[in-house]
Amino acid sequence: MVDPYSTLIGDLIDRLERLPGIGPKSAQRIAFHLLQTRDDEVSRLASSMIEARRQVRECVRCCNLAVLDECEICSNARRDRARVCVVEDPRDVFAIERTGAFNGLYHVLHGSLNPMEGIGPEELRISELLRRLSAEDIEEVILGTNPNLEGEATSMYLVRLLHDEGVAVTGLARGLPTGGDLEYADEVTLGRALLGRREFPAAEI
Amino acid sequence: MIRTGVEASVVRGEFTARGRRMLVAVEIQRQTQRRRVQVNRQPLRRSSDLRRELATVVFQPDDLQIVKGPPATRRAACDEAVALLYPEAEELQVRLGNCLRQRNALLRGLTVSQRRGPLDVSISQTLDVWDERLAMAGTAWAEYRIRALEVVSPLMSQIYSRLNPGSSTFVELSYQPDWLGAGLRASLAAARREDVERSVTTVGPHRDEIFWSLLGMPARTHASQGQQKALALAFRLALHDALSATRGQPPLLMLDDVFSELDPERRKILPRLFPSSQVVLTATESYPAATRESEVVDVTALLLGQAGWAAAIS
Ligand SMILES: [Zn+2]
Repeated sequence: MVDPYSTLIGDLIDRLERLPGIGPKSAQRIAFHLLQTRDDEVSRLASSMIEARRQVRECVRCCNLAVLDECEICSNARRDRARVCVVEDPRDVFAIERTGAFNGLYHVLHGSLNPMEGIGPEELRISELLRRLSAEDIEEVILGTNPNLEGEATSMYLVRLLHDEGVAVTGLARGLPTGGDLEYADEVTLGRALLGRREFPAAEI
Repeated sequence: MIRTGVEASVVRGEFTARGRRMLVAVEIQRQTQRRRVQVNRQPLRRSSDLRRELATVVFQPDDLQIVKGPPATRRAACDEAVALLYPEAEELQVRLGNCLRQRNALLRGLTVSQRRGPLDVSISQTLDVWDERLAMAGTAWAEYRIRALEVVSPLMSQIYSRLNPGSSTFVELSYQPDWLGAGLRASLAAARREDVERSVTTVGPHRDEIFWSLLGMPARTHASQGQQKALALAFRLALHDALSATRGQPPLLMLDDVFSELDPERRKILPRLFPSSQVVLTATESYPAATRESEVVDVTALLLGQAGWAAAIS
């Protein structure tokens, strides 16, 4: 089949299609939209992508995305440093921040236990978490992994691992839709789940 | 079935379920072999959702394999009964499958040296977590299986004895996994060494046998072919009865080529066992006149090639 577009446009569509949540139709629509947008608009979009990618890295403390060594949350003196909420993904930090129900710090694992995708404990930022526990005055670790199979397995792993660390380990209250992703939970539900967090019963440890 | 030379095959049907009229269309694409289902012109997210909308129980000549085949066929039949009787268990079934796939992936990912020596602490801690998830889902699934069989088994025994008047017939479906005593969690722990060596989960509901017994003997080895066919049919009819009772709405019963599967004696009896609700029969020959109020659709025309085809659908 002959490519209906020049390779240049084809390449652009191709690359857009590789982005999450973008199918062939949307990729085409975005590509043609860009081609008809003012020059400086497109340049600004491109440079903000490049700049963000270049400047954003992992926070040395919580592994969240950060522009400086420490992310904005970790460097905020008004946050409660005794409480750390462990989440799978930087997007989950966003979701919880939106609720306004949590004033502690975070720890971002960058994934969940998932043997099918080759993700074991070593692939997650778990050793970084253990290091924080010995270096910082943390009283409570709140496990905020996704309420799906892999998230629960990850929580369970951490509950056992943190058992002897001298911190209270709590999990988000039920009420979150199971099988879902934290980032899609609405603010009210997620806020309530945070307030109603509970200790893991001994039976699960 | 997709006719040669065309891209897809569509089957449309009109149903009344819970007093609601439903137009169902199922399309099978040649290339992808995927099924797309529409209800009242709205596409269903998953084609398995059709089961919620419109329950069907189907008997096929192949069902003989449930009795005669390997344990997997009996597990599949039992799990189908669970899915039909307890639609809420669907999520659990998906979860159980995922637990197993994750645990097996973990086992397969071990290196040869990890497999030989004592397990690394981090690996055994990760396995603990998957063992526990699997044990929870597997135990819950086993409970569903036991519940379903407790409902279906007595109905099946009744139907089977009506199909075989005059002879003593006690049919029982039972499920007693070996791991039930110690618990799945402990049994997985006990099997860990072997699982690690073989890179597969050797204990759990995915390995269990569902016992089909006739007069206390395993039907797989002790029943004749005729008895086995009758058992498979009795299972489907019992599932139909169980669903009618629990849902208050009889499912659609479809019997594919059932009469040619039975001996003359049972052929005569079968129509008396039909439920009062709708039954769809297909047959390659004319079947006993005893079937009441039947509407016969002769599809011989379809076999006559293009012309006949066109005549039949017009
Ligand atoms: Zn940080």
